[in-house]
Amino acid sequence: MNTHLKHALPAWTWFAGLTLVFVILYAPILSALVFSFSVDRFPSLDITRFSTKWYAQVFADARMLEALKNSLAIALSTALVATTLGFAAAYADFRFRFFGQRMVLALALLTPTVPIAVLSLAMLAFFSRIGLSGTVGSIIVAHVVVATPFAMAICRLRLEQLPREFETAAQNLGATPGQALRLIVLPHAAPAIGAAALIAFAVSLDEYAIAWFVGGLEQTVPVTVLNTLQGQVDPTIHVIGTLAFAATLSMVFAAQMLLLRSTKSHKNKEVSP
Amino acid sequence: MSVLSAKVRLRRRAWFALWAAPLPIWFALFFMGPMLLLIAMSFWSVQNYRLTPDFSLSAWSYVLSLDFLWSTFWRSYGLSLISAALVSLLAFPASYAMAFLITPARRLTFLGLALAPFFTSYLVRIYSLQVFLGEGGVLPQLFHSVGLSGASLLNSYTALFLGHATLTLPVVLVLQTLALGNVDRTEMSAAVNLGARPQHVLRHIILPAARPGLSLGVLFAFLLSYAEFVSATYLGGGVFQTLPILLTDLIRGGQQWPRAAVVSLLMMAALMLTSLVTVAWAYRQKGN
Amino acid sequence: MTQPLLELHNLNKSYGTFEAVKDIDLTVDTGEFLAIMGPSGCGKTTTLRMMAGLEEPTRGDIRLEGQQINDLPVWQRETPLVWQNLALFPYMTVRENVEFGLRMKKVPGPERQQRCAEWLERLGIAGFADRNVAKLSGGQRQRVALARSLVLQPKVLLLDEPLSALDAHMSIRMQGELKRLQRELGITFVYVTHSHSEAFSLADRVVIMNAGRIEQLGTPQDIFLRPKSRFVAQFVGGISLFSGMLKTTREGKVGIDSADGLLQIADPASVQTGTKCDLAVRADRINVTTQPGWGTNEVPCTLMSEEFAGAVVNLHLETAAGTGIVAQLQQRDLERLSARAGQQVYASWHPEDGVLLGVTALKAAA
Repeated sequence: MNTHLKHALPAWTWFAGLTLVFVILYAPILSALVFSFSVDRFPSLDITRFSTKWYAQVFADARMLEALKNSLAIALSTALVATTLGFAAAYADFRFRFFGQRMVLALALLTPTVPIAVLSLAMLAFFSRIGLSGTVGSIIVAHVVVATPFAMAICRLRLEQLPREFETAAQNLGATPGQALRLIVLPHAAPAIGAAALIAFAVSLDEYAIAWFVGGLEQTVPVTVLNTLQGQVDPTIHVIGTLAFAATLSMVFAAQMLLLRSTKSHKNKEVSP
Repeated sequence: MSVLSAKVRLRRRAWFALWAAPLPIWFALFFMGPMLLLIAMSFWSVQNYRLTPDFSLSAWSYVLSLDFLWSTFWRSYGLSLISAALVSLLAFPASYAMAFLITPARRLTFLGLALAPFFTSYLVRIYSLQVFLGEGGVLPQLFHSVGLSGASLLNSYTALFLGHATLTLPVVLVLQTLALGNVDRTEMSAAVNLGARPQHVLRHIILPAARPGLSLGVLFAFLLSYAEFVSATYLGGGVFQTLPILLTDLIRGGQQWPRAAVVSLLMMAALMLTSLVTVAWAYRQKGN
Repeated sequence: MTQPLLELHNLNKSYGTFEAVKDIDLTVDTGEFLAIMGPSGCGKTTTLRMMAGLEEPTRGDIRLEGQQINDLPVWQRETPLVWQNLALFPYMTVRENVEFGLRMKKVPGPERQQRCAEWLERLGIAGFADRNVAKLSGGQRQRVALARSLVLQPKVLLLDEPLSALDAHMSIRMQGELKRLQRELGITFVYVTHSHSEAFSLADRVVIMNAGRIEQLGTPQDIFLRPKSRFVAQFVGGISLFSGMLKTTREGKVGIDSADGLLQIADPASVQTGTKCDLAVRADRINVTTQPGWGTNEVPCTLMSEEFAGAVVNLHLETAAGTGIVAQLQQRDLERLSARAGQQVYASWHPEDGVLLGVTALKAAA
């Protein structure tokens, strides 16, 4: 900021606000981390001793492992399908002009504003009528609907940075549309596709409402957490939380790194011979 | 009249459809399908404990005549609106710091850190808050040690607000920071050059220019808080009966599908109306 | 009769109700350097893109060596394009960029490498072969773009304002190289530009387009000396225009009866009296004096402004009737003239320097 532009309040007040916000955001995450290693059942400031006994308990819990297996299978499938759908739609929106283009965009991007409780209810009703409720497949199908908008937005934003001529220039030099896509568009979009997959995976891994409504007896990790929330204090939630934070945070950061690096390298990349 | 042969046209269309069709098909089947079913279901009836396709207004007239539905509706709406406004105020200094007080390279890192929690275990963070605020939790303990009451902070609006903030802060921070970051620096310099004091620049240049982004921040905070039911249940402790809670209760309570559908549609209507009004206001231009 | 290389027949392109290109008929010969020129939005780039197959014509035919190629997809046409922003592939080295087209055409490895090396050498970029294209200077990037297209040994090379990204100095250097390359290779160049200097100094023939139509097609000299319409005259610039009825006086003088008096012309053979037409006089043929009595066509006017353009000066004058006149003088002539803005001066020229617009067409019709 230029020196002649002064702020309405001294700098420290704004920074205090920044600190406060980050405390609110990260305190729950840090506390889960700390208490997951405390031997005490009731989390409090005077921690008796640190241990990994709750971790051992979680990994010995067959129900939890089953939920974890479900969660991973669902998140993986969701990431795959959502990224494919999202990239295809982003590419279509980037490459072609067609009737109803804005509607498709609106449809995909307005989905996240539908309250998750309403969406879950609609999904449950729908899947029960077609006899799919209570299956892992129905959770995947629903999670794809929730995760695709994110995947599409990420891919679309990245494609926007690709000058439109590149693809036609490749075709002008003899590349078929398929070759131009593979040789010009995909290398450019690769980081975004990776990021989209990671975000879709994270969204699915973290989603509880639809999984709870639609999944029936097939529990995912967040659903077991939700069920535990209703009961008494259970330190194993801190363990699950810590593990989940570690997993999703690293995925989200990996996605952000991918996107940032690609934006930078676009300008100045030296290719060694 | 076209100069291209039918074969060429067909091949082109097929290639186009390969990319353009999958998402609309998936969303038509698995998003529009369920949503339309929800609308249809609000007109169905329950006969002998069985849900029967019908065209009946009984669910509508039943739900709309419930006094506690309307009180819940307005409580839900009001609480989320207050939370949205408070979260926006809470986020503003932080966004201002990110937009104006740190370098652009650092800004990206901070934005990444701010956004990351949005995708991570919301439930566990709510649980953390629960044990933080609950009886014998970290905060009451701290308060007790400085001589205040050490009572549980749960089942209060403060607890509910913290839950809402946990959910919505990341989105609000990102929207606000982007909006403030895009304010034209030359305009600000021009205002200073014409004798504006820092507070005038903030009020007459920065805030109006960032209005669309700031309003969208409020809107998203509202949408998310309004739809939220975990905080309301486990932090608000059922003191604050909200529409989503009502909805989940209706479903778990048995065969009240048509009534639940009506409540859902009411929620959707309120959301859409609020979004339209906010967006129209956010992008309103001064003058013609 | 030899087969023309590229033919456009009755070519039309509309976007909705907007007609970008209207009824273009154009024949490009083998080995010719053709420039298409016009203001932005005149349809020149659309025409070029239709030649490359990047846009489909709404109506009409495109033929390459007599074969109709409307249906041929872009990637099967052999009409490489040098793009305005060059469109070099950023994830590839210089060599990979140049080899791209050969790879797509499945040219076997050794031949591909040899051809690529040959062209890198020829355009003086062999030293950068393994660099990333983002690391090159403007002129080097320009050469990569040329090599990438020319390595395919096309019959025709399409160029869309290829020099617009370069600074003035580099642009002039590249113009020379382009011209030399085209001569040496004998390849047909179709060159779209909005720059007069590029079109006039490079091309064998120039097409001037306006609002989707061809206004004039001819050699640079033709267009400069004998503009066919007001539009061309104004677009080429440095030309003063007068309009009026063609008239033959009792003394047998022929000229146009304009608001600024009778302006004589030299070539009465091409004239049909009574038609309304425009007279064009080039700026360097107009003489400016402070006293009357210098020449045949003499118009009193006011000196409005002077505009220095290197060694020459453009004087902007206005007649009593409001007609704008531009006269080009050498620096030293201006000093001799010693006139100031607002002063009364006289503009004059020889009858043979006045060109009637559209006269050739008139002749052809007669």
